[in-house]
Amino acid sequence: MLYDINLTLGYDYGYPVSGAKHLLRVLPDTLNGIQRVQAASVRISPQPTEREDGRDFFNNRTVALSLREAHEELEITMQARVEVQRQTTTLDLSPLLSGLEAEIGSIRSLGFDTPHHFRHETARLRQVEAIAKYAHASASRTQTVRAVVQELGYRIHEDFAYDPDATLVDTSIAEAFALKRGVCQDFAHIMIAACHALGIPAGYVSGFIRTVPPEGEERLEGADAMHAWMRAWCGREAGWIEFDPTNAMLASDDHIVVAYGRDYGDVSPVVGVLQAGGRHRIRQSVDVRPLS
Amino acid sequence: MIETSAPDPFAPNRGGWTGSYRLNPDAFDEMMAAPGSVRPAWQPLVNALDAFSAEEAARRFARADRYLADAGVFYRLYNKAGTVERQWPLSHLPLILDEGEWHALANGLVQRAELLEALCADIYGDNRLVAEGLLPLELIAGNAEFLRPMVGQKPAGGRFLHFLAFDLGRDVQGFWRILGDRTQAPSGAGFALENRVATARAFGDIGSASNLHRLAGFFRDFRDHLAAARRNKNEGIAIITPGPLNDTYFEHAYIARYLGLLLLEGEDLAVVDGRVQVRTVSGLKPLGVLWRRLDAAFMDPLELRSDSRIGTPGLAAAMRAGAATMVNALGSGILETRALHAFLPALAYRLIGEKLKIPNIATWWCGASKEAGWVRDRFDDLLIGPALSTRLPFEDEETQEGKRLAPAVRERWLQALELDGRRVVAQEPITLSTMPVDEDGQISPRPVVLRAFAARTARGWTVMPGGFARVGQTGEASAISLQRGGRVADVWVVGSRPVEQVSLINQEVCGGGRNPQGMLPARTADNLFWLGRYVERTEATVRILRAYNSRWAEGPDDRSGLLQSLRDDLLTLGTDARKALPQSLLDTLGDVERTGGRVRDRFSVDGWLALRDLTETAAQLSPRIQPGDDAVRAMTVLLRKLTGFSGLVHENMVRFIGWRFLEIGRRMERAKQMTRLLARFARPDAPDGALDLLLEIGDSVITHRRRYGMTFSTQTHVDLLALDPLNPRSVLFQLAELKTEIGLLPDRDGRGARAPLPIEIMRLHSSLAVMAPAAVTSAVLETLGADLAALSDLLSDSYFR
Repeated sequence: MLYDINLTLGYDYGYPVSGAKHLLRVLPDTLNGIQRVQAASVRISPQPTEREDGRDFFNNRTVALSLREAHEELEITMQARVEVQRQTTTLDLSPLLSGLEAEIGSIRSLGFDTPHHFRHETARLRQVEAIAKYAHASASRTQTVRAVVQELGYRIHEDFAYDPDATLVDTSIAEAFALKRGVCQDFAHIMIAACHALGIPAGYVSGFIRTVPPEGEERLEGADAMHAWMRAWCGREAGWIEFDPTNAMLASDDHIVVAYGRDYGDVSPVVGVLQAGGRHRIRQSVDVRPLS
Repeated sequence: MIETSAPDPFAPNRGGWTGSYRLNPDAFDEMMAAPGSVRPAWQPLVNALDAFSAEEAARRFARADRYLADAGVFYRLYNKAGTVERQWPLSHLPLILDEGEWHALANGLVQRAELLEALCADIYGDNRLVAEGLLPLELIAGNAEFLRPMVGQKPAGGRFLHFLAFDLGRDVQGFWRILGDRTQAPSGAGFALENRVATARAFGDIGSASNLHRLAGFFRDFRDHLAAARRNKNEGIAIITPGPLNDTYFEHAYIARYLGLLLLEGEDLAVVDGRVQVRTVSGLKPLGVLWRRLDAAFMDPLELRSDSRIGTPGLAAAMRAGAATMVNALGSGILETRALHAFLPALAYRLIGEKLKIPNIATWWCGASKEAGWVRDRFDDLLIGPALSTRLPFEDEETQEGKRLAPAVRERWLQALELDGRRVVAQEPITLSTMPVDEDGQISPRPVVLRAFAARTARGWTVMPGGFARVGQTGEASAISLQRGGRVADVWVVGSRPVEQVSLINQEVCGGGRNPQGMLPARTADNLFWLGRYVERTEATVRILRAYNSRWAEGPDDRSGLLQSLRDDLLTLGTDARKALPQSLLDTLGDVERTGGRVRDRFSVDGWLALRDLTETAAQLSPRIQPGDDAVRAMTVLLRKLTGFSGLVHENMVRFIGWRFLEIGRRMERAKQMTRLLARFARPDAPDGALDLLLEIGDSVITHRRRYGMTFSTQTHVDLLALDPLNPRSVLFQLAELKTEIGLLPDRDGRGARAPLPIEIMRLHSSLAVMAPAAVTSAVLETLGADLAALSDLLSDSYFR
């Protein structure tokens, strides 16, 4: 599936800001077996004083910006044409849950995709007793890892209500779990934490899903903004499998990846440091149009 | 009592002080090999001590304490209510090491420094150790000190580490063992210096007689290394501090002053075009070396901890590219991980091809089932703690001997060993050696931990011939931590031959590593300016309050309305005159202390003490004093302390650019205060007695009498307090001073005297200078007051941004 993607992030400070620095993670990348980027670019207004494109530890594309002069508004526009063709297989090549640890233990690389990075507590993925219990309730050591992950995802979709007003960007997973409501970010985090509790390496995925559904299908949740799902490492053969708990499905050709990380903190689209504090308004608009 | 002569090293041990020293039979003692058998390095001190009377010893100890109090050495103690400053807990007797033993120790530490450097390079480099199975992935991938943005960094000069500390304990057999490596931002070197100076006050004569090695050379060589690490001489060298609330801020300021380095906070820095720059009053200036005293994770909110408010955006990227030398590289904190100790012996062979000269205490990481089982079998006798802890075993509440664990905690650890041993590390506890500590007129053996320091110099790694000893308050090793009542002691390395005399001063002649002139950070200038303003505002408030209270004491009925008018005036300062010691005055004094504390490195010790004396005096006054005469007396005391501080600043502070900002602040505030007072009290309809009041507050009673005799009018008062170019309290005098000082500030935009700030002060000065007293109406004064406020903003915009 070929998509034209348009992302606009607008910041209206309401007062002049100078000496701002930002780090963006909004550019999709070509990923083997998932997607191929035909073109992608970021436009910034006002024109930044400095701009440097690079990659972070997890190999995500980054854009570092400096805006030295005073400005009251900032607009970031990302445009990309991406062809998504996931090599999804229905064949379950993952080991039994009981055998996963041995596979993890046989790895001797600290590379960005190594599952070891994705099994530890982070600021947003604190160990929560209730989540661990929830995870253990459905998992069995004699199931395959992939089956465990998918079942967990379906349960979360079943047990949690999509509710944009229930949580904020910094609501803890313990709170969101207790509320049993939230948005894609909450569901992804909770599912990752549940996987960790079962010893399954898991991480956060940020990206887009197509705005208008194919005829006769329902519109997916999260299409009007950047979306988030998760991925789990299901052994050497099966590798990483992406699952979208918000829409209760394996990531499909409707999911376009922007960045991978341990949690939201690793992939947040704009990390910004402004010299002055205060309130500012944010606009976000996303358009993902299929071309074919 | 003979105080001045050096003690005779061959004098018999008369068993005074040392006779009552009761050795702990289960520990190695630093001073005595056996009862009655003093180790040779300690003999001169022991002889001297035994020869001292109790009074002599007490007098010597008191000299050391007085030095610390006078120098303002303190540390911050964290408690439930926040933090408090505590006097430095010096234990007067030094830990004494024989030169030969110390050389062996130093060799071992140099080896360890090389090993840690190689390990750091591998962790942030190509990870061969992980690939070869010598280093478990878990210890890195799950480690909060593994800073992913720093992976692949190319540190300037190719070195990750430049300054290290090691905590050492001596076991029962007398062998030194490493308890912990401090690689993140080691503290204590400055305190070692202060301990040395203080201890010299007590035992300087004995030190010289013992051929005591000096510390200055170590610091000089390290400073030269930092200076050489710059690309050129225009680049600055700075200590980066988290700020005055940090528990070791005193030390940061002390080292900065001692070595002539800039003391900066994260907000003083900016990364521009990939280079690290300091925001100074002369614009952005390049920084070549950053000696950081805060944890790396806080140094860049863009790529490291996004909630950090003390960092510099973009610093991680600049460091990744080797834009400046960082002492030590961001990410080096991972080397402090306790579980790494289990692997260092093998890594030493692999990385430097040698056996470790000083072993660390035996350590088992329980991530492998063999180790986990072995630890379970010996659980009670081992120190059990979190594998990734970077704290020292005896400072970490989470680390305990197995047998001392509460049943529930014990159960949790045993369970962790069963389910996920990766989180557990076990270490063999050692019984620390003991050294003498003076307490209530006698000495007792207390456990000691030695912190040694290693620095890179032109000759490679060098170890400080001395260090920083921490001594337990009780026999328990866990009581060593300062936060739990432990004490500190100087460390002497003594030799058989006289030592070379070195000091920092020699090097200054050769051009050492001084910072380029004129690098005044904008934040420092801002603080100095406001310090000047707050001090002057305090003085004005105190003077008005004194005038108010003396009049109120004479007649509170206020027939003229003068008291009401004074109350109104004070209210514009937020001050409630009906209180003997109004809260706003205490708040302003708080501002004085706060701004002063932020520029501590700029003051002499005396200046700082005068400042503290002022705020402490006010704090002690508060609850008891009554309005009226009592308040007059209190205000007079405060005024004297204020004058003391101002005098010290005026007489002792070098007229560098920092002083100018302080002076500009004072002059600006004084002009504002006098302008306001004149506008209110020198008007035709002012209450009776207003003119007297002005003279009193303006400290010009005598001058007025001499100048104008019995003539007494609004005009003469305005003439003296607004327009007299020679009266140091007049408005015009302040404007003239402002004009001079502003004219000497750095020219930031190349416009010189035509820049907005000099033009504005010129305008204010000349328009007032040509006025006749009658023309200086309240309206004119009010406009001038507003112009002065605008001038302050203009100064801020020009220099503090």
